[in-house]
Amino acid sequence: MQGSSDRGPADLTQLQATMQAIEIACSSIQMHVNPAAAEATILSLCQSPQPYQACQFILENSQVANARFQAAAAIRDAAIREWGLLTSDDKKSLISFCLCFVMQHASSPEGYVQSKVSSVAAQLMKRGWLDFAAAEKEAFMYEVKQAVLGVHGVDVQFTGINFLESLVSEFSPSTSTAMGLPREFHEQCLKLLELEYLKTFYCWAQDAAVSVTSRIIESHSAVPEVKVCTAALRLMLQILNWDFRYNTNMAKGAKPSMDAFNDGVRHDIASPKRSECILVQPGPSWRDVLISNGHIGWLLGLYGALRQKFSCEGYWLDCPVAVSARKLIVQFCSLTGTIFPSANMQEHHLLQLLSGIIPWIDPPHAVSQAIECGKSESEMLDGCRALLSMATVTTPTVFDQLLKSVSPFGTLTLLSTLMCEVIKVLMATNTEEETWSWMARDILLDTWTTLLIPMHSIGENARFPSEGINAAANLFALIVEAELRAASASAFNDDEDSQYLQASISAMDERLSSYALIARAAIDVAIPLLTRLFTERFARLHQGKGITDPTETLEELYSLLLITGHVLADEGEGETPSVPMAIQTHFVDIVETHKHPVVVLSSTIIRFAEQSLDQEMRTSVFSPRLMEAVIWFLARWSSTYLMVPEECREDNCNSGYDHESWLRSQHSRKALLSFFGQYNQGKPVLDVIVRISMMTLISYPGEKDLQALTCYQLLHSLVRRKNVCTHLVAFDSWRELANAFANGRTLFSLHSTHQRSLAQTLVLSASGMRNPEASNQYVRDLTSHMTAYLVEMSNKNDLKNFSQQPDIILSVSCLLERLRGAARALEPRTQKAIYEMGFSVMNSVLVLLEVYKHEFAVVYLLLKFVVDWVDGEIIYLEAQETAIVVDFCMRLLQLYSSHNIGKISVSLSSSLLSEAKTEMYKDLRALLQLIANLCSKDMVDFSSDSIETPGTSISQVVYFGLHIVTPLISLDLLKYPKLCHDYFSLLSHMLEVYPEMVAQLNSEAFAHVLGTLDFGLHHQDTEVVDMCLKVLKALASYHYKETSIGKIGLGSHASGFKDSDGKFQEGILSRFLRSLLQLLLFEDYSTDLVGIAADALFPLILCEQGVYQRLGQELADSQANPTLKSRLVNALQSLTSSNQLSPTLDRINYKRFRKNLHSFLIEVHGFLRTM
Amino acid sequence: MSDEEHHFESKGDAGASKTYPQQAGTIRKNGYIVIKSRPCKVVEVSTSKTGKHGHAKCHFVGIDIFNGKKLEDIVPSSHNCDVPHVNRTDYQLIDISEDGFVSLLTENGNTKDDLRLPTDDNLLTQIKDGFAEGKDLVVSVMSAMGEEQICALKDIGPK
Repeated sequence: MQGSSDRGPADLTQLQATMQAIEIACSSIQMHVNPAAAEATILSLCQSPQPYQACQFILENSQVANARFQAAAAIRDAAIREWGLLTSDDKKSLISFCLCFVMQHASSPEGYVQSKVSSVAAQLMKRGWLDFAAAEKEAFMYEVKQAVLGVHGVDVQFTGINFLESLVSEFSPSTSTAMGLPREFHEQCLKLLELEYLKTFYCWAQDAAVSVTSRIIESHSAVPEVKVCTAALRLMLQILNWDFRYNTNMAKGAKPSMDAFNDGVRHDIASPKRSECILVQPGPSWRDVLISNGHIGWLLGLYGALRQKFSCEGYWLDCPVAVSARKLIVQFCSLTGTIFPSANMQEHHLLQLLSGIIPWIDPPHAVSQAIECGKSESEMLDGCRALLSMATVTTPTVFDQLLKSVSPFGTLTLLSTLMCEVIKVLMATNTEEETWSWMARDILLDTWTTLLIPMHSIGENARFPSEGINAAANLFALIVEAELRAASASAFNDDEDSQYLQASISAMDERLSSYALIARAAIDVAIPLLTRLFTERFARLHQGKGITDPTETLEELYSLLLITGHVLADEGEGETPSVPMAIQTHFVDIVETHKHPVVVLSSTIIRFAEQSLDQEMRTSVFSPRLMEAVIWFLARWSSTYLMVPEECREDNCNSGYDHESWLRSQHSRKALLSFFGQYNQGKPVLDVIVRISMMTLISYPGEKDLQALTCYQLLHSLVRRKNVCTHLVAFDSWRELANAFANGRTLFSLHSTHQRSLAQTLVLSASGMRNPEASNQYVRDLTSHMTAYLVEMSNKNDLKNFSQQPDIILSVSCLLERLRGAARALEPRTQKAIYEMGFSVMNSVLVLLEVYKHEFAVVYLLLKFVVDWVDGEIIYLEAQETAIVVDFCMRLLQLYSSHNIGKISVSLSSSLLSEAKTEMYKDLRALLQLIANLCSKDMVDFSSDSIETPGTSISQVVYFGLHIVTPLISLDLLKYPKLCHDYFSLLSHMLEVYPEMVAQLNSEAFAHVLGTLDFGLHHQDTEVVDMCLKVLKALASYHYKETSIGKIGLGSHASGFKDSDGKFQEGILSRFLRSLLQLLLFEDYSTDLVGIAADALFPLILCEQGVYQRLGQELADSQANPTLKSRLVNALQSLTSSNQLSPTLDRINYKRFRKNLHSFLIEVHGFLRTM
Repeated sequence: MSDEEHHFESKGDAGASKTYPQQAGTIRKNGYIVIKSRPCKVVEVSTSKTGKHGHAKCHFVGIDIFNGKKLEDIVPSSHNCDVPHVNRTDYQLIDISEDGFVSLLTENGNTKDDLRLPTDDNLLTQIKDGFAEGKDLVVSVMSAMGEEQICALKDIGPK
């Protein structure tokens, strides 16, 4: 609208008018006067063809800064869109216009306009980076170089550096702007910049900074050159942040074609990190720039000089130039890799940096005092970060030696003193707010973690410098003291804000694992310390019983249990964790096992836990919270130490040890493990644990968290190991638990999901029985009472009358949860019993579904039980059983559908209505899962029937199921992302595997499936679109292949038919060809989809060549501009003919077509979108 | 194990207004609960502790199943709560009378004429429109603690 569409010189009045319109729009947006209209005006400028002249006019003449900003944005949008249409001169003149503009207005006060124009120049330059000849780029860069080196004065120098900053950020993957181009383009730009220009830019920045240094150092107040220096330092930092990959020697062999856009995360350090630390590995070619020319010395000198000036006007600790300089220094600490010809050189480099950094952090006490008195903490924190970076690039020994060469103590000692100081400050302040000491603690803790993790994993503890061990011991003692003090101080706090709880727990967990690493570094001291602290507190509890309030001691014990759990054992994460290396390799001189410090500590805690079985002790001492810690500890401890099977103990860990010490450590390890093994203390301890678990389930009514820990962590971890199960099923305590569960009512008061988990646990323990028969019998005994109750109930005549009573509903729900739990615990050897269990309640399930059709909670449980049961059983079933189960599932689906189709809930409360919708969604999701589970029979089948046996045709069943379920799935319900995802993945799976069944769908169901496909194609979630495209591909390629061998394929669905009103309905393939082309040419989508869209489009075009020709013709005819028209026609032509594409659906042709579509879209997408 | 534990609520109209005691810790989202003598559907349950080393308590947010009002309650999780006996019955809709009553066909062939249409305009139109279009409608009537109300309708369509 505003832009001049003709390319000749537009007359002045028209330009004026455009400028005015934009100015008015900008100011009305600012004042909130009709913002929609104003936005539309500005948008129309961006979208009009060739708006460059108008934009340039605005940039040069407008007095409104915002208008200039918008004009710059419009240039960018239009140029990126029309790039293919612009002549090479046009492109260059746009870039040089932008560059000249920023240089000319270098002293302009509106910084944001400047940086916008500068970034537009950078983006356009990147867009043309692969088209421009080297000389053309050189010409631009020459100008920039002149500016950066200060030929045109300070302001222009600053602007030049800024431009380089935008350019570099435009080229690095994480900060680049999308341009609608394939990933390869960005990657190539990235490579070229790194190889050709990056180092040059760095040198320019260095030169610029060096050239102004003396001015800054000599003056006594702020000078304009400071701005240049800051920008240059920032640019250097940015360049050092670059993810170097092409110039390093290592890259040649290790990661030749790494994908910059997929592999944004570095995997070299796998540790729980709170503060990030990126390694800088630019490779040997950077040596001259970064290392050998005294650059570091200059930088440290500059910062040293700045430190002197902090009292002067215009300088302070956090002034931009000081911040940038510090950041750059910290960045240099993580410099590593092939840039250093020898390790010696790197040590020298680090020592130089460390000497510069020492004054920031040493002496720790003085530094922290100064901060507490109001000095800014940033320098100290940067010092900590520098230590972290150094720890990342060195081994502990080298790290410790760094400082030793210039001072009487090592770096580890400094680190420990510094952290002790920080913890003292933390203890003194004790607030919930995040203070500097929190941040410092986290960074320093990360430093320890970085130093200790590699040793911890290879067991090289012996090589940790002995001075470091002392430092760690001191530190750990102080940490425990601080944690205990914090615990007792917070004992009376009421934790009301439970939503923060989860976050703080996981943060706490991370912190505790780091503490554990420190403790393990000094394990000889740490374990006895913990034992002593426990003993003291137990004694205090007993002495003060009934006299003093134990709350503070309880909280201290809570905290100690958590710390000890982390020190003694690792989180298994599903695997069986082994005893931590530090514990295995120490304590080798212990002769009597029961005096082994770890045994002493563990026994102390277990004896304490055992006291909770005493009713009186329980009420006076064992609060639910303390019990939670006890259960957590027992779970964690028992999976590492309790009854570890022989073969696990034999694992090889002799790397780096001489044979004798290896043998000794093996001996100590064996002694430790056999103490809690099955022939020693293992059985009594396991029995105690079972009795404690049962007690928490029964004697702590309503304590959901505690019971959750017992069910999910402790009991689950016990039954996961078969050798433990063997003992469990023989215990009286376990039998009591099973009996209470199967026959009693007490456990009905557990939360129902916990009952599910308990059922699962009990059934899993059947693996400890001698043989499959005994296991199956065990499961039958557990479940028969429950199934009998359900069967009896569903057979009662007056079921309808009493079924709605809340107590009955509660019983039914609990039983269903339990059956579901049992079904989920299915293992091959208990498969028979679980099948019988489900088989016996099949009829009851249908009866209950009818009776409870209005009771969502019960319906959902019924469905979920069936889903889980079928999921577990289906692959084992014989043909006859399969037929029974499939028949049952179909009856279930039909019954559910008959209850719910056409149902409308009415309620006054909107939240109840939305609940009803959510319930519907959950049900449907369960039904889809059920169908998907049935599908898996065709993929995996363990039944003994041979393939020839005529069985149930799963494809028939699944389509029948789809017939029932699809009418229930409304487009409204598809707005639930999970349901949508499940539905389309089921659909795409079925159509890919059984396309022949589609032809058999009746037209109503077929129309419904297609409606949802249409919906899915325009979904925001690319994964959903992806699945829909797969469906299209499957349909079209099936039809094409079938018709080419003379079959009917999709039949009338594809060819089109006359509907009941006599109107002709277009065939589905041509319909989707049309909508897919529409999508690709005119709508927004992620470029990632182009590949799969090509796979769908190719067979569609082959099926419907006539339609495709017509559509192409229409498209070309709609183009008025003859140049564009001929371009479009050519592009359409080459889409189907270039790359020797032939009309066969094989891999080669799919691949060719993908390529063609990519280039087709690059060619035409830009200008089609603007029409 | 049927109904040995039930007791009668002290409200005037006995019999229909049954509630049952149930431990607070076992009541889940989507279940029912009585809050301030009103039958509610539980839409949110959260647990917290009274003091760090105290016992757990449940915080319920319920929505009155008849008037849609939001109610909240905090109960120690080992204590019992009242759970209302919520019954739902399906009837075929025969007629809507001018004075705002509906006529429903019961299972044994009698009619039930004492139920009012909902007062809310939106719900009213949903029912009236469906009926006016001549659809075969089945309404579900929800009753609890002596109150009843239409809670859903369903088009059973031509058989």
